[in-house]
Amino acid sequence: MSADIVAWLVQDGITNGAIYALLALALLLVFAVTRVIFVPQGEYVTFAALSLSLLEAGRMPGTVWILVFGGLAAAAVEAAAALRARAFAALPRIGLLYLALPAAVALLVGWAAPRQPAQWVQVLLVLAMVVPMGPILYRVAYQPLASASVLVLFIVSMAVHYVLVGLSLVFFGGEGLRARPIAEAKFRLGVVEVTAQSLWVLAASVVLIFLLWLLFERSIYGKALRATAMNRVGARLVGIPTALTGYLSFTLASLIGAVSGILIAPITTLYYDTGFLIGLKGFVGAILGGMASYPLAAVGAVAVGLLEAFSSFWASTYKETIVFAVLIPVLIWLSLRSRHVEEEEERE
Amino acid sequence: MSRGRVLIALFMFYLAAAPFLLPEFYVTLMNFIGLATLVTLGLILLTGVAGLMSFGQQVFVGFGAYATGVLTTIYGASPWLGLAAGLAFTAAAALGLGLITVRLSGHYLPISTIAWGIAFYYAFGNLEILGRYNGIQGIPPVGIGGWLLDTGRESYALIWAVALAALVAAANLLNSRAGRAIRALRFRATMAEAFGVDTARLKLVVFLYAALLAALSGWLYAHFLRFVSPGPFSVHLGIEYLFMAVVGGAANVWGAVVGASLLTLLKEWLKDILPKFFEQSGNYEVIVFGLLMLPLLHRARDGLAPLLARLAGGARRSAVPAGAPELASRERPAAGEPLLEVSALRKNFGGLAAVRDVSFAIRAGEILGLIGPNGAGKSTVFNLVTGVLASDSGEIRFRGKRIDGLPSRRIAKLGIARTFQHVNLVGAMSVLDNVAIGAHLRGGKGTVAAMLRLDRGEERRLLAEAARQIRRVGLESHLADPAASLPLGQQRLVEIARALAADPVLLLLDEPAAGLRYQEKRALAELLRRLRAEGVSILLVEHDMEFVMGLVDRLVVMDFGERIAEGLPSAVQSDPVVIEAYLGGVA
Amino acid sequence: MNRTFTALLAAAALGATAAHAQVTVGVTLGATGPGASLGIHYKNAFQLMPNTLGGQPVKFIILEDGSDATNAGKNARKLITEDKVDVVMGSNGVPSSLQIAQVAFETKTPYLCLTPISLPPERYHWTFIVPQPTELMMGAVAEHMKANGVKTVGFIGFSDAWGDLMYKATEHWAASHGYKVVTNERYARADTSVTGQVLKILAANPDAVVVGGSGTGGALPHVALVERGYKGRIYHNHGTVNREFIKVGGKNVEGAIAPTGPLMVPEDLPDSHPSKAVSLDFTRRYEQAFGAGSRNAFGGYSHDAVRILGAAIPEAVKKAKPGTPEFRAALRDALENVKNVIGAHGVYNITPQNHNGQDERSRVLVQVRNGEWRLMK
Repeated sequence: MSADIVAWLVQDGITNGAIYALLALALLLVFAVTRVIFVPQGEYVTFAALSLSLLEAGRMPGTVWILVFGGLAAAAVEAAAALRARAFAALPRIGLLYLALPAAVALLVGWAAPRQPAQWVQVLLVLAMVVPMGPILYRVAYQPLASASVLVLFIVSMAVHYVLVGLSLVFFGGEGLRARPIAEAKFRLGVVEVTAQSLWVLAASVVLIFLLWLLFERSIYGKALRATAMNRVGARLVGIPTALTGYLSFTLASLIGAVSGILIAPITTLYYDTGFLIGLKGFVGAILGGMASYPLAAVGAVAVGLLEAFSSFWASTYKETIVFAVLIPVLIWLSLRSRHVEEEEERE
Repeated sequence: MSRGRVLIALFMFYLAAAPFLLPEFYVTLMNFIGLATLVTLGLILLTGVAGLMSFGQQVFVGFGAYATGVLTTIYGASPWLGLAAGLAFTAAAALGLGLITVRLSGHYLPISTIAWGIAFYYAFGNLEILGRYNGIQGIPPVGIGGWLLDTGRESYALIWAVALAALVAAANLLNSRAGRAIRALRFRATMAEAFGVDTARLKLVVFLYAALLAALSGWLYAHFLRFVSPGPFSVHLGIEYLFMAVVGGAANVWGAVVGASLLTLLKEWLKDILPKFFEQSGNYEVIVFGLLMLPLLHRARDGLAPLLARLAGGARRSAVPAGAPELASRERPAAGEPLLEVSALRKNFGGLAAVRDVSFAIRAGEILGLIGPNGAGKSTVFNLVTGVLASDSGEIRFRGKRIDGLPSRRIAKLGIARTFQHVNLVGAMSVLDNVAIGAHLRGGKGTVAAMLRLDRGEERRLLAEAARQIRRVGLESHLADPAASLPLGQQRLVEIARALAADPVLLLLDEPAAGLRYQEKRALAELLRRLRAEGVSILLVEHDMEFVMGLVDRLVVMDFGERIAEGLPSAVQSDPVVIEAYLGGVA
Repeated sequence: MNRTFTALLAAAALGATAAHAQVTVGVTLGATGPGASLGIHYKNAFQLMPNTLGGQPVKFIILEDGSDATNAGKNARKLITEDKVDVVMGSNGVPSSLQIAQVAFETKTPYLCLTPISLPPERYHWTFIVPQPTELMMGAVAEHMKANGVKTVGFIGFSDAWGDLMYKATEHWAASHGYKVVTNERYARADTSVTGQVLKILAANPDAVVVGGSGTGGALPHVALVERGYKGRIYHNHGTVNREFIKVGGKNVEGAIAPTGPLMVPEDLPDSHPSKAVSLDFTRRYEQAFGAGSRNAFGGYSHDAVRILGAAIPEAVKKAKPGTPEFRAALRDALENVKNVIGAHGVYNITPQNHNGQDERSRVLVQVRNGEWRLMK
């Protein structure tokens, strides 16, 4: 194995690892705040990437229907709650947020899609379609169960994953799609040729990680999120609305997912079901990082990317086996470390 | 005959009649339901009852199927050898995976099951000996004697015979000494440990059992379909099995049949019906599946089987076996003999000393009260003595033997039984079963004996003992009620009965009067006096000074982690240091 | 209710005249799941099928198997035992098709397999393979490589049954055509990167590369090879030849060579090609229904299976009535002896020894030129 190959593999591993890192951060964020193991995180990536490809082809992505019908379901849930509480004043707000807004996005996309607008407009449209999926999913699927155990929430995630993958096939079809690159330039870096697109991926990851850090360290919302993550009951006692932090974390997660999707859409062919494995690899990264710290999760995710790159060189047949089996030693370590199983005991 | 038994009898009748009445394809469907029932049953025990969630059962199904596939096609071995090999291999693999992952309760376990699910799927598809992605063709049917089970109806007989045997064995298991401990695993592991249950080992046993059931299903699958390829062992099948377990619910082993049937039939039906509504092809049944799971999880988190159970009229097991011989009792120390000696005990949390050089002793036949204001360190002492926490320094001796550093189940074995400040009962279980957990160490029959009903004699004695202790605390009219249905005061009595069922030399009570009304407190005090008269020694940790005063023989008072006074109640009551501690802030 | 009604109708039909008894064809396909991208095309073609075959009314019952072998087998059982079909067709995956072959064997039902699979000789009895054997297809690639002096070949394929088949077919011709397969790299359809595998191929520096993917999945390694500056020829297989492949691969896949059936390029075929008329007709009808450029090899297999069946039915109805085991046996015998059936994928001459019956007329080499698959002359 020559130095050139190592350099190439490292470059490839880091590019993929950067995407996994973004997902790992989103997963960790959602888990810390809401205790939800958000399996469908990868689905945001596919929805964003495939929607972008369809917009490029001048077609309206079915993603808008999730928005419209999901909004409808969320509105129904919210309205029922408001009516029960006799809070009629909330109804217009509910209508605006869950009915008018999704409808507006749908109309906008429907109008713009056949006109094939500039790429940056397409990117904005994709964000407008995919990011609201986060809060809508939270409202419809998770918030009614906010107090349930991690395991029940996990099953909910699996159900949501099923629904999203099923819809993804209906919306995008079975064949793969690939978007036009945002930047086509290439640079030489020693022996390695770096595409501008992969630099974009890296830059965006770093910027997002920095923004997340800023949010957590500097803003009042970030502090609320951190407080909820540390102690839910305590956070509620000091007046932090845990439902709000739930929305916030889900919105951030869908934003991160959508950005990741837009970034990798031009580098690779994506299929309707690609997201599951990408999301799981983000998970593996987060666990490698101990499932507790953001920087460690990012490091773990990059490690997954590198491991994947090198194992695809050495033993491509067993690549997935290697990537997922690497969890086992980490789990052994974690299991040796956690002496008291009781601490994690579920509540009845 | 209860309605539950009628339902089960009807189901048996249906199973017996089905192959003669149903058209061929429905027999095939029933076969698939039977195969799924086996896996789901394991998951119900594992996830529903024991609280260990797995998305990786399909891997064990794969082990069972591939083992027999390889042996019977490549080596021409008998399917029965394939079965033995499959079970042995699965047991070894499950033991390995289980040792690593079962200790990781909570969310790590399900994530790791997904991870190994993916890892093994690709391994199945890439191993030359397993026929790579093409799989193994031409697997022979199972033969019993000279009779080859090579049609769907014959496979039906085999599959359902195995499934029924597994269901009955699982139901037997849950109604046994080991079963009660398993039912405590999910929410009450600390309590189970305190009564001598090795929860880590038991979790492993359940994990192993679920894996073996899955392997059994795999063996049947291979010989029914006569073809094995990696597809049916992908992660999505694992998710589907878990959905089945969720739909079936954890309340009842028959939930496995309910979950497996509903989902298998629903899928089949959706596949027929949905394409009529949608022109474009798509995975519509998956979408509908997911959408149906959400309201189910929102509204009926315990699955659908409890609904059926309600329909069947709650199967209340109230019959206490009469005339069972009593269990052997521990030899009692003579009154006045030193029992528990705590010397210079110390425990720090971070920089804070929660317990600082505390010493005291209890003699046989007395009630010692350990009191102090909130935050004095009483509960920490309690947890150190019971082995829930490890001390930093100092010694705890019980009847001369050092017990500090021992896990709580070992301490329980020596004859120390405890109650919990926050009532720690298995809510869905009857009072009788809850109390019987207390007698866990007085029986010895394990899981296999329970499944085969070889434990009945011992079981009768255990239940009779539990009933005796329930009478002792005056709850005999609530024997068969679910523990959660009792008011708090009575739940505390159940806690005491459970501790008594352990036949303790020393009883440790953690704030037994907290939250009780005046009348209840008086009754409790009366009970404790009676127990002392019967020779039980008691360490009573209490916050309520008044409750303690008329009851205990001696008092130890703690404040800020230190012992500040010791002596007779009357003397302690007038000790100015104690008054200062209790009233200091106010006065 | 419905079922009884159909049964009554069937009984009435039987009473009327045996000559017009309905032939029921059971189809299971995976238009969802991992094989969805192929299954959709197979399924589409069934919308274009005739109402009568060989003078008999025919009914198609199409079930979805989600590209899952167990489901495919379950569907086959359902079709055979529930719907009493006379013949089974499907599916779009090797394991699924193997499972159906097993069921067909057990239930003694003729099976027109729509995926190239290979079975132990005694198991072919009830199974007929419609698609060209992979060796036949890759033989065209091998000949082209030989003609161009290729001595070393790098292989990269799906890590699934299709990848295995392609590797075997490429190996098959290695000795006779004077080349050596120097790598056997694998990737998954849903992988986001194949850099590692491609680097390994570049390190081996073969004269040509064979990609054993299918559909758009074939584009990923091709693009990666080109981007890393690989200059040799890149060959694909018949599973890759569709429009989406070019859409995804863009200008990077310009020059890609693949074998395929005549129906991908009927316009370019010489008039003397026996399949030209049939291919043109089917392609025209398919593209009318599913959009310009939607032509693909898979729909052609569905089409040809039905044509082969149409050729066998007249022989079989002479011997027995549809819906009976005797008819199924007669149909099998008839299928084993169909001669000169012209399909969109060439000409079929089935014999007891060869349950596919195609020859070199069923393959052409095509190349991507100016963003379109064109016949190589």
